Amino acid sequence: MQPKSMTRAKKWDEVVENAYRFQLAGYRDEEEYRSVKQVDSAEKWDNGFVKKLQRKDGCFYYYNKARECSDKDVPKTKLYNY
Amino acid sequence: AGAFKERPAKPTAFRKFYERGDFPIALEHDTKGNKIAWKVEIEKLDYHHYLPLFFDGLCETTHPYEFFARQGVHDMLEHGGSKILPVIPQLIIPIKNALNTRNRQVVCTTLKVLQHLVVSGEMVGEALVPYYRQILPILNIFKNMNLNSGDGIDYSQQKRENIGDLIQETLEAFERHGGEDAFINIKYMVPTYESCMLN
Repeated sequence: MQPKSMTRAKKWDEVVENAYRFQLAGYRDEEEYRSVKQVDSAEKWDNGFVKKLQRKDGCFYYYNKARECSDKDVPKTKLYNY
Repeated sequence: AGAFKERPAKPTAFRKFYERGDFPIALEHDTKGNKIAWKVEIEKLDYHHYLPLFFDGLCETTHPYEFFARQGVHDMLEHGGSKILPVIPQLIIPIKNALNTRNRQVVCTTLKVLQHLVVSGEMVGEALVPYYRQILPILNIFKNMNLNSGDGIDYSQQKRENIGDLIQETLEAFERHGGEDAFINIKYMVPTYESCMLN
């Protein structure tokens, strides 16, 4: 499914945090990750943050339980609408 | 008598393994967001083999060895759970070697790693108590290493690189997670330490 529009994040929240994590691993968002990897959802911490992602080249990225998307990363993070 | 003097670190096994390409990590020139791309899942790694090797790399001060050792240790501790406890005895010598370099950057990194280690899995804090004799002497030497800058600004405080403060935090973490014998054993090695839990 292709997104209809994209906006840049203005301030940090949980949605932005997870979008940042997917984009660091080379995916638009969870939607794309699910369709590429054929999984139900990405592995997450109990606080809802993404824990582990497999990149398109097969390598794994591991994420912390705490916030990783710094203030300077927020405006670079893209939020897609379907 | 040179108690604070830096001692040159010996070539690390970590560097040898890294250059030979023995680590299951993808080497990239653009380390996005300071991440390691693991070629295999961390959960499937042999912790007895890899964790002591990454700890051995804590002595490194040059890029890229320093980054991969520090981040590798971080990832393995964050995601190791119950696989960490049985490896503790093998981590003591690399920890001791790193602290013994007395290199400020290496000591700072190792102290942060120790704080992470005690919370990385159940009983890990308790398992470290018998090894205090080996780990704590350097902490005792540097415990009061705080800059007296008068009313000037000590930027190491903002960057969390102030050795005196990091040692205090580390000892408190040891006491909190080391069980009932922790305090007396810390006090034996670091006589100026006061409990953060009693009183």
